[in-house]
Formats: sequence, C-alpha cells, structure tokens
Amino acid sequence: MKESKLGDFEETILLIVGILGEEAYAFKIAEEFETQTQRPVSIGAVHSTLSRIEEKGFLTSEMGASTSERGGRRKRIYTITASGQKALETSRNLKMALWNQFPAFAGGKLNFSFQ
Amino acid sequence: MKEAQPPKLAEKFLLLFLKNDLAEEVLGDLDEKFHSMLDKRSVRRARRNYWYQVLNYLRPFAFKFFKSNSIYTTMIGHNFKIGYRILLKNKVFSAINIGGLAMGMTVALLIGLWIHDELSFNKHHENFDRIVQVLRKDVEDGIVEVNSSLVGQVGVFMKETYPTVFDKVAMTFFRKSPQLLTVGKQSFDKDGYFFLSDAPEMLSLNMKAGSRDGLRNKEGILISETLAKTFFNDENPMGKLINLNTRANLQVTGVFEDLPTNSEFGDATFFASLELIYDEENPFVWNNYNMKVYAQLKEGVAIEDVSVIIKDIMKPHRDPEDGPMELLLLPMKDWHLNSTFEDGFQVTGKRMQYVKLYGLIGIFVLVLALINFMNLNTARYQNRGKEVGIRKAVGSLRLQLINQFFAESVLYATAAFILSILVVYLTLPWFNEISDKGISIPMDNLSFWGICLIFTLVTAILAGSYPAFFLSSFGPIKALSGTLKQGIASVRLRQGLVIFQFTISIILIIGTITVYNQIEYAKSRPVGYNQENLITVRGRSSEFYQKYDILRSELKRTGVVTEIAEANYPLMTTLGNNGGFRLMETDEPYGFSFNTIFVTHEYGKTTEWELISGRDFSRDLGGEETSIILSESAIEKMGLEDPVGKKLVSRWEFRGRSKVFTIIGVVKDMVKGSPFEPAMPLMVFASGGSESYLFIRIAEGANYIEALPKIQEAFERVLPSHPFNYEFVDDAYMTKFRSEERIGSLATFFSALAILISCLGLFGLSAFMVEQRTKEIGVRKVLGATTSNLWRLLSKDFSILVVLACLVAIPLASYFLGSWLEGYEYRIEIYWWIYAIAGISCLIITLLTVSFHSLKASLANPVESLRSE
Repeated sequence: MKESKLGDFEETILLIVGILGEEAYAFKIAEEFETQTQRPVSIGAVHSTLSRIEEKGFLTSEMGASTSERGGRRKRIYTITASGQKALETSRNLKMALWNQFPAFAGGKLNFSFQ
Repeated sequence: MKEAQPPKLAEKFLLLFLKNDLAEEVLGDLDEKFHSMLDKRSVRRARRNYWYQVLNYLRPFAFKFFKSNSIYTTMIGHNFKIGYRILLKNKVFSAINIGGLAMGMTVALLIGLWIHDELSFNKHHENFDRIVQVLRKDVEDGIVEVNSSLVGQVGVFMKETYPTVFDKVAMTFFRKSPQLLTVGKQSFDKDGYFFLSDAPEMLSLNMKAGSRDGLRNKEGILISETLAKTFFNDENPMGKLINLNTRANLQVTGVFEDLPTNSEFGDATFFASLELIYDEENPFVWNNYNMKVYAQLKEGVAIEDVSVIIKDIMKPHRDPEDGPMELLLLPMKDWHLNSTFEDGFQVTGKRMQYVKLYGLIGIFVLVLALINFMNLNTARYQNRGKEVGIRKAVGSLRLQLINQFFAESVLYATAAFILSILVVYLTLPWFNEISDKGISIPMDNLSFWGICLIFTLVTAILAGSYPAFFLSSFGPIKALSGTLKQGIASVRLRQGLVIFQFTISIILIIGTITVYNQIEYAKSRPVGYNQENLITVRGRSSEFYQKYDILRSELKRTGVVTEIAEANYPLMTTLGNNGGFRLMETDEPYGFSFNTIFVTHEYGKTTEWELISGRDFSRDLGGEETSIILSESAIEKMGLEDPVGKKLVSRWEFRGRSKVFTIIGVVKDMVKGSPFEPAMPLMVFASGGSESYLFIRIAEGANYIEALPKIQEAFERVLPSHPFNYEFVDDAYMTKFRSEERIGSLATFFSALAILISCLGLFGLSAFMVEQRTKEIGVRKVLGATTSNLWRLLSKDFSILVVLACLVAIPLASYFLGSWLEGYEYRIEIYWWIYAIAGISCLIITLLTVSFHSLKASLANPVESLRSE
C-alpha cells in the first residue's frame, strides 16, 4: 500500500507550500521555514521532503518560466493537490479533537477558533 | 569589484552525484541561496554555506544511480563484494590487518599534522615573505657568533638611510619577560611585546576593534581577544585603562585576534609602545645592545641585495679595539626552523632536524604496518591459492586477479583510514599537550581530505602490490592439486621484512631509553647550590627597591625564613655577560666573558652555594664594593694558581665603581643556564640592595602550607601594594628539561606503537605457520615429543629473526644516538646494558607473542589434527 500518512515536518512544509502559492519552490520554502520556525534547515532536506510528499500524491510540481535571476535557470513550483488539502484537514481535525478532550481545555473554557 | 561566485569545485561535486533532471532547479536554488547569504554575510560564510547545502544534497532521492551495464563497473563491484566477504570470513585476521594498518596510519597522520604545523610557522602573517630580522655576526676570541641583540640606532639608521628598501622597521626590547598588568583588583603576569608603532601593521594583526595605529600614542596598548575577555568579560574594552607594572596607565586602543600558536609572536597577549621601557630621552644609541630589530622589505626587493647594503652599517660606530662585526638578515621563513648558525654560517636548525627525524619515524612506522599487510597476505597463500586456481581455470586473466587483490587492499586501507582518523581525533588533545602544540584536524579544509584520499590510495597500492603479484602468479594445476609450495625466495623476503620491523623497533627502544637516561643524568647533576625551599619574587615597583633591610628583618621574624637575598636577575638564567677583564700584573685581557651578577651580601647564605676557598661577602666589612667572588670554572679558565687576593682590572666601570676588583673567594660552579652545557665562568659583585629579584630561603622542614601565608603576610605588611607572586626555584629549573622530556614522550609513544605493530604482524604470522604444521605437530606428538620440545621448535625460527634484528639495530642505534648526544656538552655514554635491555625485551615480547599459538598447537590432542584426512 502506498504510504499516505503525513509526518510533522512534512505537514509544516506542506502548509508553507500553501502559504507561498505561486512562489513555492525549494529555496523559498526553506527560507520561509526558517523565518516561521526559527529553525535552520538545508535546501537539500526540504527538497528531499518535497519529493517524498510528491510521491505520496499530496503535491504536484512543474518547472516554471525561466528568469534572468539565478543564471537563467528555471524553478520547480509546487502546488498542493486535492488529496493534499484533504490530508491537511484530516490532520487538523484530529488535533482539534484531541485538544477538545484535553481536560484543562475541555468544556469550551478556552475559545480556540481556527479559521 | 567582480561579484562573488559560488565555489566552482562545489558545483562540480554536486553535478557529479546529482540526477541530471534535478540539476537545473537545484543549481538555481543554491545560486539564489548563495546570493541571499552574500547580502547578509561575508563571502567566506556564503561559500561555506554553499558547501554545506551541496553536502546536504547527499540524499538517496537526489542520487543518480550507477545502474550501467558496463562490464567494468560490474567487475569492480564484484571485486569489492568478494573482498568484503573475505574480510568477514576471517575476522581475527582482518582485525589484525586493519588494526595494524590503522596504527601505522595514525602515526603517519599525527606526524603529518605536526610537520605541517611546523612548516607553516609564521605563514599566518600576510607579509611573511618580506619580513626579516636583523642579526649581527661578531668575532670574539676567534669564535664567530651570531646574535640577535642589536643597538637600537641600527633600526633608525636603516629606515632613514634606505627608505626605498625598507617598508617598515620595528624594534623591540631584547629581553622579554612577563609584565604585570592590573585592572581594578585583577592583576596578571602576561607575555607581551614592546614595539615601535609600525609593528602591528608589519605583523598584519587582525583587529577586532580599534586600528593597527594604536601604538602611535605612547600611552596606547593593543590587547588580544583573550586578554580582553579576562579583564573586561563582555564589556567593550576600548578606551579602558590598564596599569603596567604599577607604573604607567595605558589606554586600550585596539583588540586583536589572538595570533596562532605557530607564530613567533604567538604568546603575545598585548603590544605596547617601546618607549615605555626606556627612561632615556633617546633609547636609540650606537652602543647598547638591548633591542631586536625587525624589518619589512619593500615589494620586489631581494633579500640578498639588502644583505650587501646593511652588512657594514656598524663599522663606523665600533671601537677599533673590538673585533669586526657584520650585520645580516634572516628571512621570516627561517626564524623557526633554520635559525641555527655555526661559525657564522646558517646550518640546518635543530627544529628542522626534528621535522626530518619525525618525518622519517612516521614513514618507518607506516612501512612497518605495510609490511604486516604484505606478510600476512602472502603467508595465506594456501588458502587463497585454491581460489586463484579456480578463477584461472574458468578463464580469469592475471590482470583481473591483480585487480581483485587491489580491491581488497583498498577496502582494508579505507577501513583503516576511517579508524585512524577517529583515533587521531581522540588522541589530538593528548598529542598537543606532549608536543606543546595547538593542532586540530582541518575538517573544513578540502585539500586536507584530498591529501587523505591520496594517502589512503597510496597506502593501499603499496600494501597490496606484492600480495597481488605474488598470489596471482600461481599456476592453476598446482594450486588446485594442493601441491603449492612457496619458493625459498618469498620465505626469505618475509623473514627479511620481519628483521626490518624488529630492527626499527629495537632502535626506537634504545632511543627511548637513552633519551630518558640523558634527562635523568642532567637532572641529577650537582648544581652547586640548594634549589629546594627557595622561592623567587620579582620586584615591580619603586618601593620594592628601598625596603630591603626592613623586608629582611620582617621576613626572618616569621620564623619560617632563614635568609633572604636580592640579585639583578633570576637565579635560573645567565643574563649578565661581560668581558674585558685582565689581571693586574698583565696587559692582555682575557679572551672570554664572565657571567656577571650583582647580589646582596646574603646571596651565598640564601642560595647555599659551596665556598671552596676564601670568604663570603660580609656586611660587617663595609660596602665590599671592590670585592668579587669567582666560580671554580672561572679560575680554571683564567689559569690562576692561588686566586684569593689577586686583583682584576676591568676595561669599563661597573655602576660607577672603581675598575679594580679583588678576588675574595671561590665557589663551586653554579648551574644556572642550560643543565646540558658546562657552567659559565661566574663573577659575583656585591650590591647594597635595590635589586629587582628577591630570593627567600624557607627554613628546612617548614610546612609550605603554613610557611607561605606567613611569608606573604609579612611581605604585604612591608609592601602593601606590591603583589606577592612567587616561583619555586626547583620548579623553574625543571622547565629547562621540557623540550627533552617532550622528545622522550614522543619517542616512547612511537616505539610503543612500532612494537605493537610488529607484534601484531608476528602474531598473525605465527598463527599461519602453526596452522600449516598442524599435521607435523600431531605426528611428532604421537612419536613422543614433549610440549616443551614442540614449543622450542616452533618459537626458534622467530627468535633467530629477532637476534638478527638486534645485530643490525645496535650499530645503527649507536650511530644515530651518538650524533644526537653530541648536541649536548654534558651527556651520558650509551651503556651496553641499554642494548641488552632493548634486545632482551624484544626477544621476550616476541616469545610471548609467538608462544600463544605454538603452545596452543603443542598442547592440542594429536588425534584432532591427524583424524581429518
């Protein structure tokens, strides 16, 4: 069976791909990851994760247009697929359900709102 | 300026392993990363980061796979696979092989790093090839001596007269000693240099704060990062005040990055202005040899041309009575390794000799390991012979077999290298300590790894060549029918190699024992005074000079001090040198100079020197300003029969006294300089006090833990603001043996490894020999041979080899060590028992190693070995 679970790091990367939209390629994703999480990461690590998520079918990618920057080389732009979207939602729902059962926060004392 | 580009080598490396269809996007991403790094950080950082990113692409998803069907790659893969299986099949054998090789490689790596460190001495300075030191060569008593102390005016003259030749000239104080630096309540003795203001620029100090101009102001001081941390922690040190020797307040005008330990000035914690040291209006004169002169040549000026120019600078300023003097230049590349002169000519320096010696030892130890590899592999010819036979029978070419064996040795060498790098990493701190170095593995240096790769491959080829050609030469029929006999030549060769191994080991053992003997001999040399229970305090401030008498009575009142004395320099040095004395009755002055020292009257009682004739200085007899005490060797050198009462005339006045002195006493020689050289002829003058070194004799049997606080308390009562920093005289004396002890520890380490490697090889060899003779042993046992008979039979062969090795090693060792010992005036003979110990211990070690297998074989039940037919 094809692996379809989403690891923690993978989930974060997937979300960042969603945030970046048209600008989602390995270098930008690594930069965004570093600014959002304050954790250093190498481009290679991000790239390898991206290709792994792509194998699971949560991402698709295609080469973008060539630009004069970066020596005229093209970028590979990643986009979230429908099943990727679904995997993210499943993961969020699971976490929400778990949070709701957490005694300290159960009973709606804390008002989380996820939009 | 051209825009910085990503490192080309890293790009090439990336493309080497990266899938082709990923290349474009990855290169693009990394390019972008590089440029975004450039905006924020230095080019260096950006380049390093690029490498980091490239290495992080070493992930399975990005690799292109070598799935080609080429026959060559398949064959190579096959060779390694077989090699790996053989390695696993006989684990003990592989462990011996890899372990031995790893030990040899460890030694080679350590020595390689050490030599690299020595050869790159001073190279850190940007103007390395243009910096020179000015030396003088003078003739005294027919002996040509090269010296580095010069008159300060030489530097001034050079700069003013030849501005087109010398870019910068910097003088420093000749005698360097730790200086007392104080900030607030913290005081430390720190090493540093007093220089002219050009020095920081000349030495290309890497400034972390302030500028290299910081010494233009006399009250400025440049401090090292470490010192800044010690005094000011994380505060900004710039502009802070530091007190020097309780005399001058200096302002921090710069902080420099610590110089590497392999720099001439590596111990510098500060640089301050030269003018601080001299009270005179103009310290640069033609007749006081109290400075060292360094210069930086203009670009494109050849040292040889400059040497001609400066040669005779001193000529017009010399007293015609004095001997001739020439100046010469020593380029920076020779400062550390080649600064030895003999008869005025530059010869190979002692350090350079050590570099060569250690290099040689490193190569030899590695060769020992290679020999093990060859011996063990060829000894297994019967096991491998069958394999070779089958391969040949099914159509293998000889070249293919050779390749197979080389693949194996590459596998072994690589495993050994990985092991040895690990060992080097773990042992470096210890190695640095005994060799007094600050070496680290240059992990981020690509050329280091490149050299390591070449080193490993060369080792593999050297180790594998003989087994590869030997084993692949078997004829298939012979090999398969089991009648393979090895020729007498290969047996002889193997024996020769074992003899070679043990020759090296024995030489190293003899060397180690001799070095330690020499050190012990010099340590137990009679020094002519009592070093125990004696401490030295260095005077720093003016109040120190005026309170000798009160200090003396206060200290003696503590009950733990028997006597104190002062002198104008420490007990463990021979700093004062003066010539030009003659006997009253003659006109001809003596052609040698005396080691002169000014001491207070109690010096004799404090040091407990041994008076041979005459009397000691005495306070009751007045000033004693015209009295001198000489040492035994001085009397001998002067050729005096009955010295006491004789009068000496000096060419100069000493401290404004008369020029005529009366010898009142003779003492035993005092060893104050190098313990390996004859004691200098000593001449002692009496002084009323006001000298800067204080010696305190602690009462015999006094407990230091109680005595020292008492002394300190009395000291601080008399001199409240003076630091009580003391040093034990016997400790100071022991530091004189440090460089010899360093050689001793290294020699021990190398010889231990050499023996271990040789024994590993012998252990493996004896295992195979016993295996081959299993049947023979069985038959002998059945016929009634005893265990001891068999043990003797099996051990005999190897013992003969060791005895032969002894015969080769002894003359070689006595030659090498004889020439090493010649460097010491005060030295031991190489006694016969040293050879005996080395030889016998080697023999015992060999027997123990071999006995493991020979005893095992001779104790075995013969039924076991004879049954399997």
